[in-house]
Amino acid sequence: MILAVLFANAEGNILIERFHGVPAEERLHWRSFLVKLGADNLKGVKNEELLVACHKSVYIVYTILGDVSIYVVGKDAYDELALSEVIFTITSAVKDVCGKPPTERRFLDKYGRICLCLDEIVWKGYLENTEKDRIKRLIRLKPPTEF
Amino acid sequence: MADSSGTTLMDLITADPTPATSSSSSSTSAPPPSATSSTSLSSTLGKPATEKKSKRATLMQIQNDTISAAKAAVRTNIMPQKQKKKPVSYSQLARSIHELAATSDQRSSQRQLVQHVFPKLAVYNSVDPSLAPSLLMLNQQCEDKSVLRYVYYYLARILSDTGSQGLSSGGGIPTPNWDALADIDAVGGVTRADVVPRIIEQLSAEATNADVEFHARRLQSLKALTYAPSTNSDILSRLYEIVFGILEKVGDPSQKKKKGILGGKGGDKESIIRSNLQYASLSALRRLPLDPGNPAFLHYAVLGISSADPVAVRNALEIVSEIAARDPYAVAMALGKQVQPGGALQDVLHLHDVLARVSLARLCCTISRAKALDERPDIRSQFNSVLYQLLLDPSERVCFEAILCVLGKYDSAERTEERASGWYRLTREILKLPDASSKESSKDKSQKIKRPQPLIKLVMRRLESSFRSFSRPVLHAAARVVQEMGKSRAAAFALGIQDVDEGAHVNTFADASDLNDSDESTHPESIRRTSSVSNGTAGRDTIAGMLASLMEVVRTTVACECVYVRAMVIKALIWMQGPFDSFDELESIIASELSDPAWSAGLLNDVLLTLHARFKASPDMAVTLLEIARIFATKVPGKVDADVLQLLWKTCLVGAGPDGKHKALEAVTIVLDLPPPQPGSMLGLTSVDRVSASDPKSALALQRLVQAAVWFLGENANYAASEYAWESATPPGTALMMLDADKMVAAASSRNPTLAGALTRLQRCAFSGSWEIRIIAAQALTTMAIRSGEPFRLQIYEFLHTLAQGGLQSQLSDVHLSNGEDQGASGTGLGVLLSPMIKVLDEMYSAQDDLIKEVRNHDNAKKEWTDDELKKLYETHERLLDLVSLFCYVPRTKYLPLGPISAKLIDIYRTRHNISASTGLSDPAVATGISDLIYESSKTPAAAEPDALDDDLVNAWAANLGDDGLWGNNAPAMNRVNEFLAGAGTDAPEVDEENIISRPSVSYDDMWAKTLLETTELEEDDAKSLGSSSPDSTGSVETSISSHFGGMSYPSLFSSRPNSYGADKASRGSGPSIYEGISSPIREEPPPYSSPGMYRNESFENPLAGTGSRSFESQDDERISSGNPQFGSALYDFTAGGDDELSLTAGEEVEIEYEVDGWFYVKKKRPGRDGKMAGLVPVLYVNQP
Repeated sequence: MILAVLFANAEGNILIERFHGVPAEERLHWRSFLVKLGADNLKGVKNEELLVACHKSVYIVYTILGDVSIYVVGKDAYDELALSEVIFTITSAVKDVCGKPPTERRFLDKYGRICLCLDEIVWKGYLENTEKDRIKRLIRLKPPTEF
Repeated sequence: MADSSGTTLMDLITADPTPATSSSSSSTSAPPPSATSSTSLSSTLGKPATEKKSKRATLMQIQNDTISAAKAAVRTNIMPQKQKKKPVSYSQLARSIHELAATSDQRSSQRQLVQHVFPKLAVYNSVDPSLAPSLLMLNQQCEDKSVLRYVYYYLARILSDTGSQGLSSGGGIPTPNWDALADIDAVGGVTRADVVPRIIEQLSAEATNADVEFHARRLQSLKALTYAPSTNSDILSRLYEIVFGILEKVGDPSQKKKKGILGGKGGDKESIIRSNLQYASLSALRRLPLDPGNPAFLHYAVLGISSADPVAVRNALEIVSEIAARDPYAVAMALGKQVQPGGALQDVLHLHDVLARVSLARLCCTISRAKALDERPDIRSQFNSVLYQLLLDPSERVCFEAILCVLGKYDSAERTEERASGWYRLTREILKLPDASSKESSKDKSQKIKRPQPLIKLVMRRLESSFRSFSRPVLHAAARVVQEMGKSRAAAFALGIQDVDEGAHVNTFADASDLNDSDESTHPESIRRTSSVSNGTAGRDTIAGMLASLMEVVRTTVACECVYVRAMVIKALIWMQGPFDSFDELESIIASELSDPAWSAGLLNDVLLTLHARFKASPDMAVTLLEIARIFATKVPGKVDADVLQLLWKTCLVGAGPDGKHKALEAVTIVLDLPPPQPGSMLGLTSVDRVSASDPKSALALQRLVQAAVWFLGENANYAASEYAWESATPPGTALMMLDADKMVAAASSRNPTLAGALTRLQRCAFSGSWEIRIIAAQALTTMAIRSGEPFRLQIYEFLHTLAQGGLQSQLSDVHLSNGEDQGASGTGLGVLLSPMIKVLDEMYSAQDDLIKEVRNHDNAKKEWTDDELKKLYETHERLLDLVSLFCYVPRTKYLPLGPISAKLIDIYRTRHNISASTGLSDPAVATGISDLIYESSKTPAAAEPDALDDDLVNAWAANLGDDGLWGNNAPAMNRVNEFLAGAGTDAPEVDEENIISRPSVSYDDMWAKTLLETTELEEDDAKSLGSSSPDSTGSVETSISSHFGGMSYPSLFSSRPNSYGADKASRGSGPSIYEGISSPIREEPPPYSSPGMYRNESFENPLAGTGSRSFESQDDERISSGNPQFGSALYDFTAGGDDELSLTAGEEVEIEYEVDGWFYVKKKRPGRDGKMAGLVPVLYVNQP
């Protein structure tokens, strides 16, 4: 289960978040935990270098892409390596939409489309589409396999 | 709030070069923002000093804005808007959608929607249900694909919105609870309940539309439908119907041509459409609740494994492996030939989808271990061989999953037998790899014949190469696999599968001896890098040798920068640590790691819990683990959970067995021997024997820990030393002869060094150390005195006596020279505490003396004991027992306060009078609960005491091990340990209060709820008071408030909010009269979400802040709390005749405080013309209801 996908800017403000199966009262804790994690560790990290953390039986993989840091939280089958797959799919989709590692401005300009991509990548707590082209087709309401 | 970069979500979105909703805004205009809001806006941008206040104002405007926006949207009450460059608000977006939906056939409208309206709407957390009709209209009429894609997106959002505080997984700007708003008719009364059936109706119709051109939309409608609330069985059964309907059409194998698994590109249109539909329906099925009773699930999922669409294959495999966990037999039968070479499962091995292969590994593991398939070893071995092939998978995720499956770890349940046989499998199995199926078989190199090779070798190589990775997730995962390996190994040893001879040469199990290059071709990149590691190591091919070389690599990983990886490595090391291995290396690694301040409390406690788990797996490890736990106690006293640590002490002490007890106790009490921490000293940071508690917090924690250790010592020393008064062989008389202190000590330590050692430590603690420690030490000593036999009791008695008189203090410390005052017990300050303890011991000794005298008298006079004498003796016995029970638990049936000689006489009396020994219920300590007061945890188990007592049980009880109540509050620690052992814990981590990133805004939800349910005045007060306090304290207050409500905080998202719609509310709030706040009828209603809690919080956090609002709040409280306040109204006008009188106007409402001599002292709700609020009025002037 992918418990959360979270995008934050350099100041630790959350830009996008998707929770699944996390009680509302715990979301605040997750937010502050993740943002603190990023503030502590993401300084000077290269784009798309994956960082890892865990809390009890929950895994967290996070990275930075341009001005935006991306956090993915998962458990069970979504361990640190599976989450790496998820985050890789997300970063490549974001890069695809923004053209390059985005500035915050660029990210926000493409906000709607990024939301659609995310919608195709993570579907109700499970990873769905991973291929860049397939995602691109799906967010344009085209079938996944063209004929 | 304008954040440093000036780029906030709203800023950027709205600072679009092309004005946002130009077409709509041209036709609309808003009333100009009120004076307050515009000033707040400018201050937002310009002056950070007033940032907080203005932010609040802005926040309120957002709320107001959103409410009125929603109103506007529903009533199509289009208000004019003047400023084109203003950021768009939710209401504007909502209105635009309504408008553009009506003109969706126009190209410009479509462009507007796609480029401006929909992307901006995405910024908001949720979409209000009143948009649904317009979205559905767009869905029906619009042709533009991009518009439609957004429409599906938003319809899904509406369907999935749980409605709780508008908190559906969103991000961006929080939105209110639309349904709650609708209930109070704020948005025109459209709730989700109204629109969801319509949405589902329309989407279902689309999902079943068989038109070829429509099929992309079918996929999206199916997807959106899965977001519908699955709690509704009607909707659910409808969804199943749709999904299975599609699968029935597309999954018909007779129509389907066999395609290459990665193919599809060259396929004909029909089959592509079919595979697309199959993909969508399987994906939808995966999201719907699994119905194991329904054979259709398995049938279609198995068909789906052969699908041309890789994602469909993955979803199908996930469904199948989930069903396999419940019914492996049916799944194995359904899969049939798929598993054989050339079957669909073999194709999955080459599928470019990691998660699909992971599911395959789980599926194979479940089936190959299924007991239901014991009759069919052929099937099991087929699945097993697929599993082994996955060990060679290029992806670490898949390979590790396969390793974990081999190790017997495939779900959260821990079965020791499964784990043990996992270790056996890993060490014994020989892999015979099928030649053709390997992925690299096309390469020339691999054409040579593969030799069978030991499984463990393969696994070790893979792990070693993973530990050379630069990727932190890979390192973390590899360490985790090693940890699981350690668990399986521990299980194997625990179950005594000792024929796993780790010294044996693995090749003895193998047919072939040439192992070095046989798998080069399967893992060229990994193997080559590893081969250099362990070359030349003697015994390289033994399991022990391989493990040693692996552990070497694991240990080097401690150098990783990431603290989480290091934590996992340490856990792995703890698990791989055998009970009889030397643990010096591990100890020094942990010691140096703990000195690193980067370790968070949560992580450290995780490691501590791992120690618990390790102990549970092999109790032999008790002493080793205690030594490790000691490092925690000395290095990071402030960070570890003291309860969990104590529980570990306790369990390890019990588990240490007779030989280890002494060592175990030493390990605990070492804390007491340590020199006090030296602040700022960097010396010996890595030394285990020095405390590092440089900051006040950890110094305090250390003290608590010492306290706990002292207490622990008192409670458990007797258990550890196996010394009990009721088992003592020494008659009390002999001790009395050793009154010379030196002799006594010598005798004591020669008899029982463990107890003597504990005694010495406690004595030292009793007159050095802090107050708390001295008190606890005295209590601990009394406990020991009561429980121990001679000479220990006497030794303690004398010590306590001296302590009470203060003699020892002046003897021992020259610093405390007498200044003429009688130091007395004030030297230790324990006099009050000690006197009852000494009294008990006094009474015991004098009663013993009396008894000996009596016995001698009887012996000399050669007369029998009369019944009265026996009765007297028995009563003394019982009285002393009761007295003793007040101090600590003793087993009543066995404990003899009068010494062993009394046993016979008491027994005679008991049998004569048929008195049962177990009179636990009448124990005054139990009956009155005093025992709980004295020792919080001494919940005397005597109540449940059976007549015949098992010795060990009694002793365990005596050591207070029978119950969970060590230190009185250990139940949570127990829960934590159990939870950890069960692998639970997905709850959110606690971020340290002090480290929390101060969120400069109060959460939007809180604000929202408040404005709805309370007056805005209160909010204003609140804002003011916060504004007047220091920034830091405000931060903390707000943090506490928002965490109290579990709300959200997005500071930057709120900046420069427009305020065109909040004018009416804002202006009402702009001229607040504090008194109105009180008299307002809304204010009288206590807010339903525990706002008093918030105030408590606030006053606790920052007593200076919020005096305004708080003082009135407390007045409110008083009024409510002082029983029934009396209200009345003035019957006539009354003019005050003196300073203490109050003028009244007829009809004015007053609250009557009290009556005195025909006068009422009343309070008005608002001050009169003279400004007075309270005073005396004649009784007759006031009408009492």
